[in-house]
Amino acid sequence: MSYLFDPANWEWLFAGNNLRFLLQGFLINLQIAALAMGLSLVAGLGLALLRVSRWTWVKAVTGAWIDVWRNLPLIFIMLYLSLSIPESWRVAYQDLIPAWLPDAFDSPFFPAAVAGLTLYNSAVIAEIMRAGIQSLEKGQGEAAAALGLSYWKSMRLVILPQGLRRMVPATVSQLITLNKDTTLVSIIAIQEALRHSRIITSTSGSPFLGVGVDAPLLHVFLVTGLLFVAVNFALSLLSRRLEVRERERSGVAVQRVSGIEDQLETV
Amino acid sequence: MSGLWEVLVRNFPQFLSGFVVTIQLVAAAFVVAVVIGVVVAGLRVQPLPPLRLAGTIYVEFFRNIPLLVLLFIAFAGLRRAGLDISRFAAGAGSLGLYTAAYVAEAIRSGVFAVGQGQIDAALSLGFTYPRTLRMIVLPQAVRTVIPPLGNLMIAMIKNSAIIGVALALADDLLKEARVINSRTFQTNEVFFWAAVGYLILTVGTTFVVRYLERRLVIRR
Repeated sequence: MSYLFDPANWEWLFAGNNLRFLLQGFLINLQIAALAMGLSLVAGLGLALLRVSRWTWVKAVTGAWIDVWRNLPLIFIMLYLSLSIPESWRVAYQDLIPAWLPDAFDSPFFPAAVAGLTLYNSAVIAEIMRAGIQSLEKGQGEAAAALGLSYWKSMRLVILPQGLRRMVPATVSQLITLNKDTTLVSIIAIQEALRHSRIITSTSGSPFLGVGVDAPLLHVFLVTGLLFVAVNFALSLLSRRLEVRERERSGVAVQRVSGIEDQLETV
Repeated sequence: MSGLWEVLVRNFPQFLSGFVVTIQLVAAAFVVAVVIGVVVAGLRVQPLPPLRLAGTIYVEFFRNIPLLVLLFIAFAGLRRAGLDISRFAAGAGSLGLYTAAYVAEAIRSGVFAVGQGQIDAALSLGFTYPRTLRMIVLPQAVRTVIPPLGNLMIAMIKNSAIIGVALALADDLLKEARVINSRTFQTNEVFFWAAVGYLILTVGTTFVVRYLERRLVIRR
């Protein structure tokens, strides 16, 4: 405890540009998360729609696809993609990307990271959205059909607005998981918060490379962790706000479906 | 196609040992997660505000921190702080503490599902608060909690893959796959069999959970 709270062990935080360097790394995590969130939501909705399709074989194929990707470890998927993408593609990618894009895009492994995050999270989100669509009373779809709405119109105007709204808490909790999982890209050699943290711990104490103040690993990683806790906690507060507002707006308690760590749980 | 089988047959002992280590990691972490999870859930439902706050802080901290950061703190950080902690304990312990936050939440919602009426009835019969929890609430809550616990087990199997490749804390399935791959360069074949290993564990657990759910769930 005295080691943890010793002020000498916290000096690194404001020494040199350590803090700025750490935040720069964290920003890369957020950029990757934002891109992967957008892609996963779009792909997840597409998969969910295919999953509730009227054609049995489309349903079966989509179901198998979803079950495979959401039952594999995300780090497994990322590692596989980063190892199996040929080097010529990586070189081509680096020549291709324009300079004005954010820093996160610079790494040759960036496509593998985003593809891995998207493959995995779109499968989980598809399953969440499917549960939302299927939790609606059957009468809703029947009423829409009776009013003469086509399949796609009743989907767009009746089913999806209600079904997806129910799934907001579960979806946000999955997005929090996604945000945490962006740290895994450090394993496939992308410079982000964790890599920057390690650089701080290994250079800061050095009189040649750093600022001459020792940066203990425990303290550096606690700060990094708290950055994630802060952002994710804000996201979960937002999700709770949305849930309460939804209850007030519709007058009925939304069916409690909360995502727990990539799994779906109806409570 | 023959190459696919060849990779499995040649490296079978290594695949198997990785598979077993993954199961050991998850089993050890599961024990930690359930024990700590029950304690934290207990903190969050008991009436004293400061203890309840401690439970809430635990849940919000461990649920929102990346597991990888936790692994760095548990292994490298604590070692440098002078605490001698074994590789396996650091890996399984971090995974357990991380999942305990989710377990606590699952148990808490299970406890609330029991209903205030029963708790009030027990208290008015003269049960003390701990006795009410132990004899009235927990036996019912445990059953409600089995499906979410099973889901957390699946999440743990997947999260355990981080332990080996990130910090070399254990030679689990993914770590072994990477080692085999760096020797043979047959990436597709090696990762195919590793995927089969993980799917056996996760999909297998799904079926076990569904079975238990049907057997044990209380219908209200």
